[in-house]
Amino acid sequence: MNIDNIKKEFPIFDEKIQNNDLVYLDSANSSQKPKVVIDRINEFYTKEFSNVGRSIHYLAVAATNLYENTRSSVQKYINAKDKNEIVFTKGATEALNLVANTLGQKYLNEGDEILLTELEHHSNYVPWHYLRKSKNIKINFAEINEDGEIPIENIEKKITPKTKVIAINHLSNVTGAILPIKEITELAHAKDIIVVVDGCQGAPHLKLDVQDLGCDFYAISCHKMYGPTGLGILYGKKKWLEELPPYQGGGGMIKEVKKDRITYGDLPNKYEAGTMATAQVIAFDKSIKFLESIGIDNIIKHEKELIEYGQEILKKNNSVKLIGNPKNKGGVISFTIEGVHPHDIATILDEDGVAIRAGHHCCQILHDKLEIPASARASVGVYNTKSDFDQLNESINKCKKIFDLK
Amino acid sequence: MNLKELYQEIILEHGKNPRNLRKTENFNKDAKGNNPLCGDNVHVYLKLNNQRKVEDISFEGSGCAISMASASIMTDLIKGKSDNEAKEIIDDFLGMIKENPELKSSILEEDDKTKLMCLSGVKQYPMRVKCATLSWHTLISAMEDDGKQVSTED
Repeated sequence: MNIDNIKKEFPIFDEKIQNNDLVYLDSANSSQKPKVVIDRINEFYTKEFSNVGRSIHYLAVAATNLYENTRSSVQKYINAKDKNEIVFTKGATEALNLVANTLGQKYLNEGDEILLTELEHHSNYVPWHYLRKSKNIKINFAEINEDGEIPIENIEKKITPKTKVIAINHLSNVTGAILPIKEITELAHAKDIIVVVDGCQGAPHLKLDVQDLGCDFYAISCHKMYGPTGLGILYGKKKWLEELPPYQGGGGMIKEVKKDRITYGDLPNKYEAGTMATAQVIAFDKSIKFLESIGIDNIIKHEKELIEYGQEILKKNNSVKLIGNPKNKGGVISFTIEGVHPHDIATILDEDGVAIRAGHHCCQILHDKLEIPASARASVGVYNTKSDFDQLNESINKCKKIFDLK
Repeated sequence: MNLKELYQEIILEHGKNPRNLRKTENFNKDAKGNNPLCGDNVHVYLKLNNQRKVEDISFEGSGCAISMASASIMTDLIKGKSDNEAKEIIDDFLGMIKENPELKSSILEEDDKTKLMCLSGVKQYPMRVKCATLSWHTLISAMEDDGKQVSTED
């Protein structure tokens, strides 16, 4: 598939948004959906719908096969050793809550420490905070350097004999820094520390090989991967998923239910209680196929070029200040304009059809550290082009004009 | 949608040079408000005297042009009013932002009404209404002295 023609695969770009062509620079928030994924949802509900894993009629069996087929596709895409290491959740947030909750139940004790970083999204902090409350667990934060990166030394510095878990993002949704997960995991495992990775930004934009990364858990958000909303994936090493207790109780996750005892199902059912996001799972197979058809190496190259171009153009624009300057950077550019609040920037850009994110991007810890209440963020996906950054720059200039900036 | 209606000269000017952006000495009522979606925050301070008149009102905080201008204009208009008059103005403003085409209160001078109406541009931008109303809700909380932190997301 030719990367230059990829935009054509996304029907939303045929729409006029408030009479403008859409310049979508908010993929770190959520990506747009290719037609194959949209069509698959429609087709499944129209011709093939049934719940999965329960009934034995024709449609139920066929739907179950499709559902499990996605699990196999995901396993291959992230190179997990075992199909049962793939658990579907309602989002990456639920995946991280599952890990924090079950580790809290079985593995962590009062006084134990969890190491996060100042770059973490709230979804990789709040679930651990619950343990601070319920189990008296201490949370430490590895600090960013002046480029908005987390060098491995900054992780190493904060490890103590009590550190039991390191929970870190793969790619920062604010500075774009790519964390050295493999090296961090090697360091952690030498000290028997579990590594949990928030892969929300990593999975859509980086080459994924969980066996090579070596981490114990990896959380994925499917709607950021050109897939449907309401779906996430938790990769967990089999030994952990087998050892840890279930997260939620309900239908589908049990083996035997008696008045005086309950036994739980085997993997992966143990963690998939209740009716799952069936159509989304089945359609997500098309997202994986879509990514594979372009090829992750092509995606990485394309997005790198875009970000380099975007940075270059914005650096030349007076009053624009880029946040962070990581050497190893993914598809995110966050910035501020002196004298204009990010919300005003976003409203003015929106008038031209330029969709960006403004706010703290669920990273208040980082914004506090940077001593700014909010920032503006342009983030890319496979469909973006250099002309999107030209338009961004032009609209920023319009914004400066309204606020009477040079 | 019309950006010119949203970013009128008065808004930009108040946004850039907010009035009463300080902390009232000897304040006897205050409240904090925040908008968790954007990280904006405001702290409103009031000094009500024995005649229940607003002797001084001020605010601290940071936010977008709309929220700073709204807090600035609000503090300007509320200063010198009795607490009942203040409540009437607040209701009138919030009613206008929510649904009413005009301001109704007879307490406000025509000039004041013009200033407040400059904020009516947010009506076309549903995501920005909270920016204009945060300081006003925080003022209500300060006057009621309920100790609650105002959040736009409650």
